[in-house]
Amino acid sequence: MLSFLFRRLIAMVLTIWAVSFVAFAIIQLPPGDYLTSYMASLSAAGDRINPETIAALRERYGLDDPYVIQYFKWIGGIVQGDFGESFEWKAPVTDLIWGRLGNSILLEGLAILVMWLVALPIGIYAAVRKYSLGDYLATIGGFIGLAIPNFLFALVLMYLWYVYFGQTLGGLFSPDLEGSPWNLERILDFLAHAWAPVLVLATAGTAQLIRVMRANLLDELTKPYVVTARSKGLPEWRAILKYPVRVALNPLVSTIGWLLPTLVSSSVVVSVVMNLPTAGPLLLKSLTTQDMYLAGAIIMLLGILTVIGTLISDLILAWIDPRIRYGGR
Amino acid sequence: MASREEYDMTYLFNPRSRRGVHAFRLAAVMTTAVALIAAPAYAQQQAPMLDALVEDGTLPPVEERLPDNPLVVEPVDNVGEYGGTWRSALRGTGDNAWIARTVMYDGLVRYNRAWDEVIPNLAESWEVNDDATQYTFHLREGLKWSDGTPFTSADIAFAVELVQDPDYPVGGTFMTDPGNPMTVEVVDETTFTFTFENPKGLLLDELASVNGSTLVSLQKAYCSQFYPPYNPEAEQMAADEGYEGWAFMMEDKCAWGQETQRWANLDLPFMNAWVVTEPWTGTASRVVFERNPYYWKVDTEGNQLPYIDRLEMRVSESTEEITLMALNGEIDFTDRHIATVANRPIFFDGQEAGDYRLGTEVQSRSTSLVLQLNLNHPDPEMNALFNNRDFRIGLSHALNRQEIIDAVFTSQGEPFQPAPRPESQFYDEEMAKQYTEYDPELAVQHLEAAGLTETNGQGIRLMSNGEPVSIAVDVISALQPEWLDILELMQLQLAEVGIDMEINNIDRTLFYDKRPSLDFDAQVWAGDGGLDVVQEPRYYFPANAESVWAFAWQAWYNGTDPEIAEEPAEWAREQMELYDQLKASGDPAEQERLMVEILDIAKEQFPLVGVSLVPNGYYIAKNNLRNVPDEMKQAWLFPTPAPYDPFQWYFE
Repeated sequence: MLSFLFRRLIAMVLTIWAVSFVAFAIIQLPPGDYLTSYMASLSAAGDRINPETIAALRERYGLDDPYVIQYFKWIGGIVQGDFGESFEWKAPVTDLIWGRLGNSILLEGLAILVMWLVALPIGIYAAVRKYSLGDYLATIGGFIGLAIPNFLFALVLMYLWYVYFGQTLGGLFSPDLEGSPWNLERILDFLAHAWAPVLVLATAGTAQLIRVMRANLLDELTKPYVVTARSKGLPEWRAILKYPVRVALNPLVSTIGWLLPTLVSSSVVVSVVMNLPTAGPLLLKSLTTQDMYLAGAIIMLLGILTVIGTLISDLILAWIDPRIRYGGR
Repeated sequence: MASREEYDMTYLFNPRSRRGVHAFRLAAVMTTAVALIAAPAYAQQQAPMLDALVEDGTLPPVEERLPDNPLVVEPVDNVGEYGGTWRSALRGTGDNAWIARTVMYDGLVRYNRAWDEVIPNLAESWEVNDDATQYTFHLREGLKWSDGTPFTSADIAFAVELVQDPDYPVGGTFMTDPGNPMTVEVVDETTFTFTFENPKGLLLDELASVNGSTLVSLQKAYCSQFYPPYNPEAEQMAADEGYEGWAFMMEDKCAWGQETQRWANLDLPFMNAWVVTEPWTGTASRVVFERNPYYWKVDTEGNQLPYIDRLEMRVSESTEEITLMALNGEIDFTDRHIATVANRPIFFDGQEAGDYRLGTEVQSRSTSLVLQLNLNHPDPEMNALFNNRDFRIGLSHALNRQEIIDAVFTSQGEPFQPAPRPESQFYDEEMAKQYTEYDPELAVQHLEAAGLTETNGQGIRLMSNGEPVSIAVDVISALQPEWLDILELMQLQLAEVGIDMEINNIDRTLFYDKRPSLDFDAQVWAGDGGLDVVQEPRYYFPANAESVWAFAWQAWYNGTDPEIAEEPAEWAREQMELYDQLKASGDPAEQERLMVEILDIAKEQFPLVGVSLVPNGYYIAKNNLRNVPDEMKQAWLFPTPAPYDPFQWYFE
């Protein structure tokens, strides 16, 4: 087990280094740079800026340096915990991202929790009672949830809430509590705001999860070991939960690592529509304005979180499934 | 120039403003009352929220906070009441323009509400020498920053010094114009002189525009601590704080003009009606401003302005959320982002439920879309074609503008070329309307006159080298979705006369990146400069980097991008000479005459094809928000609604 962990850790560091290189390349790909986009936004507002000023700024920000030099400046800083300066905010990137990333993890963690709590029992039920009325209802509900784009669901929810309750849904906190430390009032306020985005984010994922759980479990239910367990007189719930469900969870556990990046990227539009202070809109904005150190830091951190998530799922898999622990030898 | 009393009189009785005319009639009857208004002899009042602070000694009494001669502002309708919070929204990051339009507009001088005159503001008077190379300004006596310290000529001189520092690049201002270097001389506490190498006829316009705030935005006492010439430790301090150099720290702590960072630093002193109390950081969900107890304006009864206590701006990336907030009556005034053509019906229907009203905004843009063919195209064949006036006339006649107006603008507007708007003193009906009638036969005649007589199998006209005429038009639909709708109709209409048009919907960084390489057939943008004709002449001659249609010519004129700069055609050169004369003249009548000459050449040459007059926009205001004019002009250099004095708006 230790050597397993050790090999994984080495692979992780190499992967993160590769991610950093690719992340930096990606944010450099679009034509122009932050200053081109800055000039464009000034001009859209009807303002203008001298080309000489732009040239001077470009030199100061080091945007004329070759790619490799810019990359090593950047990665050198990151190793020391300095993610560079956001052009747009003229502030260190680290000041900007932690709060937002924290909100993302909190909100999306809640969404994942809700998703699993709702989807797993339904998925198990749908598999065990295949082609029953409940299975059909779960299937219909699941497919509707899957088919409605998240942002559309968010828009409809906001509109209905406004029409029937006269309130504007949006944000994660009341403005007065935004900056205050966590206390009971803030937690209640957070829950009063967070239910809507959690509902929206969890819906599509739930549907998908129900389908995966149902299909995995159906494969297992007919296998001989289930029959054996039953014939030995195990109670039905125990015969199902103890063995086939555990095996059916396998593909779900192995994708834990991808959950966070998937949720961050799929929630960008929802976050914009519902004005959620999460990492998604910050990433989107920094990509469109080519605020490269900010964008790079977010992509980099998502990469690191993915890699850590994958490691965790590997460990859990190795723990629940002996075949993986000893496989490949 | 006007003395103090004269100034107060001209402002009160400005015959060009509607309120002014009204006040003038009253004045004829009640001369004595008027004398009282003109001399600020009233006991000065302050907002109730400041009473306690004065009582416990935190603040000096109001008469000590106000300057000797505060600016007396005639309210739009009537003297208002103190109190209330003005709620609005910032669309995520990069919407500092909204703060520039509400809080920040208070320069040395400002525009009057009719936008036809520059009037005193922080400066109570000024003198200009005959050749417009020397301007002497006199500040009001006793002006104070929001921290209570005096605002003096030294602050102005410091701003000039910092902006002119080659290590601290600041956006294109008159202070850093390489073609016309300037210096500042401090005469005394309230008097200073700007001296220019060459005549500077448009200085007052620049100072009265939204960019005028740069000059009065930097307090020497606070900002000089970050500046090496005043604090030898500045570089070290910046390094200790983790900045890469003093300039980065300065930019963060003491940003100039309208920069977003100004609203992130609570220590920065201001000269505006409201000062920031909840900062605009990267994670803020709202920005809050509260009244500046040292604001230097009073109403006609001597009440210190502003009336409104607080401004609260929701920071939201979501226009949907802002739209719902407005419908729900949670926005007291806004005219940005959500006040679109498409949203008008919902907002109109929601007025009663949301307890708000819609007001009119006359746009400063002339035509909804300007087709800017690249007259400096690198391909000689395309270059010759685009420079052929008959070709452009042919394109213009091929457009069925009424169809576009009906389909895209719900029948609002009329056919219009890039030309001064009907509200402008430069309006020339012939220039605005020439070649706008839809006449495909006439269009074909002109295209044939331009040498496009042959067609290929698909009916597309062929150039003399046998290639079909195909124009790729760059557009940023993310900026204005209507542009794409218009282009799609134009595409069909031009195909009827044998011209192929490709729509190239791109991101705006690419849009800008293509310009210096001249690597595009055509780009489209809206018709800026419909009201601000002299200040924004980009479509009337190759004036600046936004004159995309003649990018190499404007580079030659402005001395930028030497590798592509190209000597302009003779008519454009003549226009440039005329504009140089205009900039050098200090006389408004002479400036107007020269501008008309430039416009006449543009009319004759017809370099650009326009579509339709931009219809009026609208603002959304709560019904209890008073002293807001029913109709405003909407522009950027005249940063609506700031010139309509939001500090005298109030809640009933």
